[in-house]
Amino acid sequence: MASSWKDNHALFLVVVGTLAWLVPGAGHFAIDERRRAYVIGVTILLTFLVGLYVGSIGVIDPVGAKPWYAAQMMNSPAVFLLGRHVTAVNRQAQAETRQESAVVPYAVYGRPNEIGQIYTSIAGLLNLLCIVNAIYMAHLQSIGETDG
Amino acid sequence: MTPALTSILAGFTVPMRIDTDPASMLWLLPLVVAIAVVYKATKVDKIKASAFVRETAVLIGSILVFIVVAAIILHGVAWFVTEQLPGLRGGSSF
Repeated sequence: MASSWKDNHALFLVVVGTLAWLVPGAGHFAIDERRRAYVIGVTILLTFLVGLYVGSIGVIDPVGAKPWYAAQMMNSPAVFLLGRHVTAVNRQAQAETRQESAVVPYAVYGRPNEIGQIYTSIAGLLNLLCIVNAIYMAHLQSIGETDG
Repeated sequence: MTPALTSILAGFTVPMRIDTDPASMLWLLPLVVAIAVVYKATKVDKIKASAFVRETAVLIGSILVFIVVAAIILHGVAWFVTEQLPGLRGGSSF
């Protein structure tokens, strides 16, 4: 009989991966890699926030920039909520003016758009690396506990 | 909500003004630092401050050197194609 939730190997890995996606660094925190978790969490969060500050939340564009959005989604599910908010506000502005080409509230162009998208997307891809790493480390820990 | 917090949050709804000039390339530096820190955080066995900072600094330096070398090579290729090649072929390359 399982003595703890860590004994269910597959479930343990899924939980660690999900935690790592929900909050950057949380996957490593769950496997008692506290320092690693703080370094990863702070760095990825700062990178993402710098990107948002430079380009505004308009850089999260699920409609016009799908590849970037896919990478941004790796940061956290919170990006999905931001993307929905941005899309809803922009669509409302277009509906009020009844023009597809209307200037939307979260419009962002040029270099701020590029830098914002690059920062937020790189933060997402770095978090993907950390998700995989957290799952791998959790796997190694489980094997170690089983063998030991 | 305090005015300071409101001001900070409002900053996330309006893009910064960044000109398209060579200085804007400096925005790559914080990104290189972030990439090096996270990559090293996933690679080292144990995170100890001094060793971690040293290894991260080496990686940041390596990335920057590679970027500079790549930029010089690409600049040389662009210079050759746009400035030298037309003269050799007796006309414009475009």
